[in-house]
Amino acid sequence: MIEIINVSKWFGQLKVLDNVNETINKGQVVVICGPSGSGKSTLLKSLNGLEPFQEGDIRVDGISLKDPKTNFIKLRQKMGMVFQRFELYPHIKVIENITIAPIKVLNKPKAKADKKAMELLERVGIPEQAEKYPGNLSGGQQQRVAIARALAMEPDIMLFDEPTSALDPEMIKEVLDVMVDLAKSGMTMAVVTHEMGFAKEVADEIIFMDEGRIIERGTDRSFFENPESERAKEFLRKILI
Amino acid sequence: MLNYDFKWSILWADPYGGWILEGVVTTVKLGILCCIFSMLIGVVIGTFRITQFKPLRIFAEAYTEFFRDIPLLVQLFFWYFAVPSLLPEEMRIWVYQEIPDFEFWIVVVGLSLYSSSRVAEQIRAGINSISPDQFNAALSTGFSHYQAYRYIIIPLAIRLVIPPLTTEILTIFKNTALAMTVGVLETTFMSQQVEAYTFHGLEATTAACVIYMIITLIVVGAMGWIEKLLAVPGLIVRKGANS
Amino acid sequence: MNFEWQVISNNLFFLMGGLVTTFELALIAIAGGLTLGILVGMGRLSTIKFIYYPATLFVNLMRTQPLILVIFWFYFLMPLILGRPIGGFTSAVIAFTIFEASYFAEIIRAGIQSISKGQIDAAYSTGFTYWQAMRYFIIPQALKNMMPSLITQAVVVFQDTSLAYVIGLREFLRSANVVDAREMRSVELYLFVGLVYFIVCFSMSQVCKKLELKKGNA
Repeated sequence: MIEIINVSKWFGQLKVLDNVNETINKGQVVVICGPSGSGKSTLLKSLNGLEPFQEGDIRVDGISLKDPKTNFIKLRQKMGMVFQRFELYPHIKVIENITIAPIKVLNKPKAKADKKAMELLERVGIPEQAEKYPGNLSGGQQQRVAIARALAMEPDIMLFDEPTSALDPEMIKEVLDVMVDLAKSGMTMAVVTHEMGFAKEVADEIIFMDEGRIIERGTDRSFFENPESERAKEFLRKILI
Repeated sequence: MLNYDFKWSILWADPYGGWILEGVVTTVKLGILCCIFSMLIGVVIGTFRITQFKPLRIFAEAYTEFFRDIPLLVQLFFWYFAVPSLLPEEMRIWVYQEIPDFEFWIVVVGLSLYSSSRVAEQIRAGINSISPDQFNAALSTGFSHYQAYRYIIIPLAIRLVIPPLTTEILTIFKNTALAMTVGVLETTFMSQQVEAYTFHGLEATTAACVIYMIITLIVVGAMGWIEKLLAVPGLIVRKGANS
Repeated sequence: MNFEWQVISNNLFFLMGGLVTTFELALIAIAGGLTLGILVGMGRLSTIKFIYYPATLFVNLMRTQPLILVIFWFYFLMPLILGRPIGGFTSAVIAFTIFEASYFAEIIRAGIQSISKGQIDAAYSTGFTYWQAMRYFIIPQALKNMMPSLITQAVVVFQDTSLAYVIGLREFLRSANVVDAREMRSVELYLFVGLVYFIVCFSMSQVCKKLELKKGNA
């Protein structure tokens, strides 16, 4: 579980995260939405230490990110991340993309890693792409490989940074289906997204951010049908046409 | 109009043919040495340019700007004429008398340093074209910084940098021609030597042109073969900048 | 090791004369190279085989040659074609114009290609001919887009003029060399030459950077 305690972050003079407080419990799916520049991605990337922050603390399963003794490598093994632009390694095959971290970081024997990788590719629906290179896959396929790659490390928490924003519309569903399946299997997830259909289906909590602050929280029903703040109302008006 | 007595046979006549051949050997030696040194130095300077450590970065930027804004010929003249007079008396005597082919080696120094700044620039451009989230993606799966560089960033950077480096190797070989101005007996020098003895400048110079063409074809062919070895299906390689 | 900087001030007039020649040569070469380069660049995009192949051959041929050799080549060739001896400056101008044109051509070609087809269609649909469309719309836009690359190439031409040394042209480097032969003050002289080149080229590259930034924000 993740505890975000009074976190603030500045880029020079600009305050990008402003006293953010939040708790994500085990098995919960939290959706973070808001206009661009609101700090959503920055918040997500602070959770696994990719973005440092100046004030406050984040505790992942009790381990404080501010503790100088914290082993970030071990921490990140427990947290998988999926990026907006997929970020598959273009110079190695799909299956190698998935197995490279288990082999190099967890010292898994290649045969075991390959077997697990094929299972994951089956789970995301594209086992036949294993021997291809990322450049030959469609965006939706690449993103599914990216999810498999993150799952290969057997994380407790999965972080998604606008996973469908760079996809052509007809490919969004195939990726969301994988994510819904993952949520229903009990994975703890923090998802930055505008896909409200996804939120409605599996989100336990929806956080609306603007200018680095959490403006509003709600369950899917309360947030979509009865947003309290003006900003949230405006935002929903714009994206829900 | 063309009132000229073409005599192509001088090109293979003795001793002129031999001179030209000697020149080609020197050009190739010079080219290969400068390629090796400039790559080695260039990789170091290139990594300085992208490092987080500010003093190294500033040094590397100044280095690149310095070599880029002064003509190569001026730099070679400085190395050949000026640098020896900066040395203390005994070193200068040693340099002029003890080192065989001083002019050859001083051109190696000058051309390697000049080219290394260009190599550094291409390496910087190649590495910068890798999106920062590639690095983040590697870290997020539990790679250490070192592992991320070793397994992801550097192999990728090598593939991105090879095409512009091909152009750079060609440029280095062409730049070896400037060595003639300080008396290095390479291809261009020899072609003018033949001209001086036979007055058939057009034939001699054309021969040199053909030789450089052949060198170019060989280098382009070799680099193309290397590119094929490293090629990854579907990898979109950033187009190299105009050299 | 003592420096005698007065060798520069003593010979300043002579050295500056060389610098003027350098600028003259550079400006003519840039103007000529750019003009010829525009034509060759357009030729590289032509669908007429008769134009495309010679243009492509020309560009690819020039790229295999060291400039210094091309200078020698024209130095020998021009008197034969014209039937009479020719000055160093003139043969240098011709060599530079033709050589640098091949590099300008590639920049222009990329510039023209970067202009969306929509622009060309728009021009045609309002009744302009190919040449008019090129002249009034495509080329000006291509030049504007490619300004940083063109300036960079102009700086290259400026530096390349030092190679005219080999045919004895009294440009800046050769002037310093002449003074050096007489006064034996290589360090001061070549530092001076390097400094002047650096100031000119560095300023131009800064102009380039500003242009690129502006383009990025446009």
